Amino acid sequence: MITVGIDIGSITTKIAMMENKKLVYTDLSLSGYDMTAAWKTIYEKMLQKTGRNETAVDAIVSTGYGRANVKIATRQITEISCHAAGARHFFPDVKAVIDIGGQDSKCIKMDDRGDVVDFVMNDKCAAGTGRFLEVMARALHVEIGDFAVMSKKAKKPVTISSMCTVFAESEVISMIATGESRENIIAGIHDSIASRMVSMMNRTGIEKPVVMTGGVSKNSGMRSAIEKRFGVKLGVPDEAQVCGAIGAAILASR
Amino acid sequence: MKKFAYYDTGHEFPEEIVMAAGFTPYKILGDVNAPNDPADRYIHHYICPFSRSCLTEGMAKSHEWVGIAFCHGCDTTNNQYDIWKRHVKTDFLYWINTPAKNDATAMTYHEHELRRFIAHLETHFKVTVTDDKLKAAIQTSNRIKRLMRELSALRATKDISNTSYHDLTRKCVQMEKNEVIAELEAARERWRNQPPFPPDRIPVLLTGSDITYGAVMEILEAARLRAVRDDLSLGERYFAETIDETIDPVKALVAYHTRIPQPPTRIPFERRLEFLKKCLWETPVSGVVYQILKFCEPHGLDLPFMTGELKKTGKKVIVIEREYTPTMDQQLVSRLESFREIL
Repeated sequence: MITVGIDIGSITTKIAMMENKKLVYTDLSLSGYDMTAAWKTIYEKMLQKTGRNETAVDAIVSTGYGRANVKIATRQITEISCHAAGARHFFPDVKAVIDIGGQDSKCIKMDDRGDVVDFVMNDKCAAGTGRFLEVMARALHVEIGDFAVMSKKAKKPVTISSMCTVFAESEVISMIATGESRENIIAGIHDSIASRMVSMMNRTGIEKPVVMTGGVSKNSGMRSAIEKRFGVKLGVPDEAQVCGAIGAAILASR
Repeated sequence: MKKFAYYDTGHEFPEEIVMAAGFTPYKILGDVNAPNDPADRYIHHYICPFSRSCLTEGMAKSHEWVGIAFCHGCDTTNNQYDIWKRHVKTDFLYWINTPAKNDATAMTYHEHELRRFIAHLETHFKVTVTDDKLKAAIQTSNRIKRLMRELSALRATKDISNTSYHDLTRKCVQMEKNEVIAELEAARERWRNQPPFPPDRIPVLLTGSDITYGAVMEILEAARLRAVRDDLSLGERYFAETIDETIDPVKALVAYHTRIPQPPTRIPFERRLEFLKKCLWETPVSGVVYQILKFCEPHGLDLPFMTGELKKTGKKVIVIEREYTPTMDQQLVSRLESFREIL
């Protein structure tokens, strides 16, 4: 059975193909303004690369913020269920998932069967999301991909007290003006997001093992900050950023 | 009949007194479609957007009202009284200090406050608010509450959209009361003939900040959730209890005030929880939607305790924070859909 999961997030669109429960393909691209064009492009590319015909696909589940754009989807399932299913694919014992995406962050609590029993998401603001990190990277004139390495060089991480993205940016700019090192600021940014995530995790009362998914999980500095605050080693799938699409492809087979 | 407006973030205002004085009570609910620009000149934009919308409405429409009364509510309401005095043109602006407690002393105080309000109305408008007029107003009010209870109960068994219910609750506090009764009776006939509760909808208990515009209800509908119970001021808080028609009418209003589902502006919060638990016990619901308007402090303060206690009942609870906007917020729809998936 061939199933496909398409996860249209606010920043990136991800795709995954499963064949008889084995992951055979993943890809991602920017969502951009035209989300339909975004998923169609990577969908067609996937068919081409895997040598499959569209008729060979038995089921498609779309997920993510733009899931309604996938008109050919057999079903639409929200990213909460998909991220949980995706995380369980890589870590069968997982009890909790932390996902930091472009415009939201979430903590998902699961039971022994892998079913979602509770979840908490960020409030209606960009604080603690990938967008927050992007804004900070711009303010610091640093590539976001360099955050991990730079944060590890921090001698004394600063404290970012504002969680509002706009105010936090002002706070960072003030720190730059006073000569604070970028490394210390970046480590402080990671700490502030980690603090927020741990607070969310505590609201659901999640258990270990904890898996981190989403694009921000690629940032080892961010991961370390959460691990330090929460006192737990995070599992990170190889395909963490595509985990929602993988979960969607898994759920498509059910 | 001339309108007498009131600004009340709960269900504290004694509409019956205004009715007995010969006016139609009109609850100020703001307008989510109108910009808050005039109010934003006088209130910081970090203050509750609903309250700023109410001030905007007050500034624009006060000429349509014979007077305005405030009731003790959240700090935002209470402290706005001075702002309204300065910026809203009206010949009669009054503040009723409804108590936050329900004990005997508070009831005595409340009775005094209500009698003082009556005296001010009588003096200013040269009317007489007799016990008979008050009793007649109470009877009308009770008629509305009973009708709303019947209609509300149909939510759990019939295909009644969240918006249809919300529209009626708005009419209850803004329309002339006899017109409201006619509307509710007509709705009762329509609703009784509605198809059964749709199988693709999930029944939920709705709580949190007061919902004053339809878009929030549409968000729930888009997520295929149906609010079959609630404790909102534009909702069950308004009609869950009736007013005693057999005793002194002012004392009856005071006693009524102590029995209604409690808003978060009153203490102790266990009283509010009791009503929510009663809803869960009386009506089969799959979960609880606790929505909170951004910058709504009373609910922000109640939230951790209330959600913790509601979860102890075994029900799943989702907390969503919403902006004050008429736009259908797809992010909230998505969150509620996720919630529906785990129910």
